[in-house]
Amino acid sequence: MQVREFKPLPDQPAPLSSTGVIAWLKNNLFSSVFNIIVTIIIVSALVAVLPGVFDWLIFSANWSGSTQADCVKDGACWIFIKAWSQQIFYGSYPDGEIWRVNLSLLLLTVVIALSFTLPTRLRNKIAVPAFLFLPFICLLFLDGSNIGLKPVSTDLWGGFSLNVLIAAASIIIAFPFGFLWALGRQSDMPFARSVSVTCIEFFRGTPILALFFMGSVMLPLFFPADVSVDKLLRVWIILVLFMSAYMAEVFRSGFQAIPQGQYEAADSIGLGYWQKTLLIVFPQVIKISMPNILATFVMVFKNTVFLLVIAVPEMLQVIMTALSNSNWLGGHAVEGYLFVGFIFWICCFSMSLLATSIEKKLDTSHKN
Amino acid sequence: MALFFPDNLYSDNPEEVFMFSNKTTEQMKLETRPSSTGAKSFYNNPKYRGWIYQSFLLVFLIGFFYTIISNTLDNMAAQGIKSGFSFLTTSAGFDVLMTLLPFETTDSYLKIFYIGILNTILVSLVGIIFATILGFIFGIAYFSHNFLIKKISIIYVEVFRNIPVILQVIFWYTVFNSLPIARESINIGDSVFLNVTGLYLPKLVGESGSGFVYGAVVVAILGAFLIKRWATKRQELTGEQFPILWTSLALLTCLPLLALLLSGVPFHFDYPALKGFNFKGGITIIPELISLAIALSIYTGAFIAEAVRAGIQSVPQGQTEAARSIGLKESKIMSLIIVPQSMRVITPMLNSEYQSLVKNTTIATAIGYPELFTVFAGSALNQVGQAVEIMFMTLAIYFAINMVISFVMNHFNKRTELTTR
Repeated sequence: MQVREFKPLPDQPAPLSSTGVIAWLKNNLFSSVFNIIVTIIIVSALVAVLPGVFDWLIFSANWSGSTQADCVKDGACWIFIKAWSQQIFYGSYPDGEIWRVNLSLLLLTVVIALSFTLPTRLRNKIAVPAFLFLPFICLLFLDGSNIGLKPVSTDLWGGFSLNVLIAAASIIIAFPFGFLWALGRQSDMPFARSVSVTCIEFFRGTPILALFFMGSVMLPLFFPADVSVDKLLRVWIILVLFMSAYMAEVFRSGFQAIPQGQYEAADSIGLGYWQKTLLIVFPQVIKISMPNILATFVMVFKNTVFLLVIAVPEMLQVIMTALSNSNWLGGHAVEGYLFVGFIFWICCFSMSLLATSIEKKLDTSHKN
Repeated sequence: MALFFPDNLYSDNPEEVFMFSNKTTEQMKLETRPSSTGAKSFYNNPKYRGWIYQSFLLVFLIGFFYTIISNTLDNMAAQGIKSGFSFLTTSAGFDVLMTLLPFETTDSYLKIFYIGILNTILVSLVGIIFATILGFIFGIAYFSHNFLIKKISIIYVEVFRNIPVILQVIFWYTVFNSLPIARESINIGDSVFLNVTGLYLPKLVGESGSGFVYGAVVVAILGAFLIKRWATKRQELTGEQFPILWTSLALLTCLPLLALLLSGVPFHFDYPALKGFNFKGGITIIPELISLAIALSIYTGAFIAEAVRAGIQSVPQGQTEAARSIGLKESKIMSLIIVPQSMRVITPMLNSEYQSLVKNTTIATAIGYPELFTVFAGSALNQVGQAVEIMFMTLAIYFAINMVISFVMNHFNKRTELTTR
């Protein structure tokens, strides 16, 4: 009996009907009668709407000029944004002092960059204190009265830089508070636990606007009559408490994700409670919770816009003031709101992309 | 063997086995390492230490609240603010833009409180319903085989989730304010009008004998419900399917229609009509309500779409393959296999999204829709000045609404939960 050897034929290229543009179109746009109809409807809607939108936004928009009189074309009047750009980003902060705002933003960027680039050995020792001191250093610079610079009243702070700085300052200070509340919530001490749970549930259950409102009408009552607390400081206190509650829940889910063996191992080598918590648990919790921390930051960053209700001149409030300015009564509301929305969208979307990528990285490292 | 284990390990003589075996457990306990302070102080017992910490906390809290309360009382006395809830019965003296109850400016603050609660519940309900519809449509659209539909779903989620909701409300309100005036309003079939002052819909008015038709509707709903129960039971017993959807639809349309014809159509429409400067009659929906409802639905809908997407992705691929292998149609796979299983991931997320929607209704204060926060914590607080009492009442309502949502959703979650046998 002759044994036939198996000789595979050389590979054939895939048939044209399953590769290339036509196949892609067929699979993704025209795979069934229903899909064909939907595709035609959507494409025709896009063709009808998009040219007009782009024309308004870009091609027949007004780009050059400095006053409303220069907005002669039919499209959007971006001159409005250009003319108000300094207020939109810095509020009414005095002209010559704007470097202080920029310095604060730069410091924030540097500290964030440090926490990603430092070697692991130094990271917790340098980046953590740097983060915790950052809000107070920025406060010294922005206020200026304590370090010999020209004092700038907090009424003048504003614009987009205020949104960024107050969101960052509140989440940084909320870190230790949130961690403490989360520890309290899962501790064995019944009284400490119930106090933590009350704090967390109160600040999570209350609408942030109601909290801001309480900050402006109730907090002044809580302080002695001769102490007047700055409005922005009250807002900061409120935001810190609000964020602490959310961070506590983020940390709690982090605690639950840490294997029980880590606690037992820490116990078995004789570490005390705080050693165990700070050296073993905390670094792992931070790592696991990073995506959720970023999501929480996105939330507080979006919530800073709510400050316009209590007349803090954040970005949207500045736009609304600009809209009612007598030199600009041309109905530029759509441009203004689109611009604010675009800036916030860029920031929040990039942070959520970052969160997703960190999540993916973490996901692979924990697969057994 | 002898290479690895010394012989005396297996020795019969107990004294040779281990040096530790010379001591009993009792003896070892007595020799516990002394603490660094020398004696075994009660301070080293975690239990007592816990009580010490907690008493510190208690003292701190008592001091904290004592300071706050005494300061508040002093400040209120100094500013001449009264305390107590007696203001509730006094006349408010301001008008409210939209009320679900009959209201006059001479009515009390308590009435304002009720009106605020009702308006909050109204906009929350509308928002929750439309956000859920949008969320499920776009969440399921993510899994479409059509490239364009999938991209639209992604764009919807990523755009509206990442823009502050208060900006969206103000944007829609601005859009509404640029609508034409009443005389040039957008006219849809002479019955629906849309202009800068609101949306006007015809109102169904029942005449005598309309009770008969309402009764028929109730009977039809009950009938559809019973048919569904009977069909489910029969399917479980015999495997035979029954076209529930079509029979229920037929029942729901034919029975009321029959009653309507038999009783001689005891209904008429109250159409809105232009009288003077504005429309009279029909149902009026104010622009504030519409903008707020649109913004909240779209914003929360984006989060719900994300939740639905995550829920569907949590169902293992094998479920889809198994469903295909037993010959289910693609549409049936979604509704019978995937969505019911994904609900136990989606429901807890829906719970928190609904709660945040209710909390977000407070942004109405930016455009002036008269919900609880705007009308009670805003206008009433401005006039009365009793911040503590008013904020307490307002917050209590938000907590109560969220507790109800949480209760309902947990009840629903119990039904969708995986039953492990």
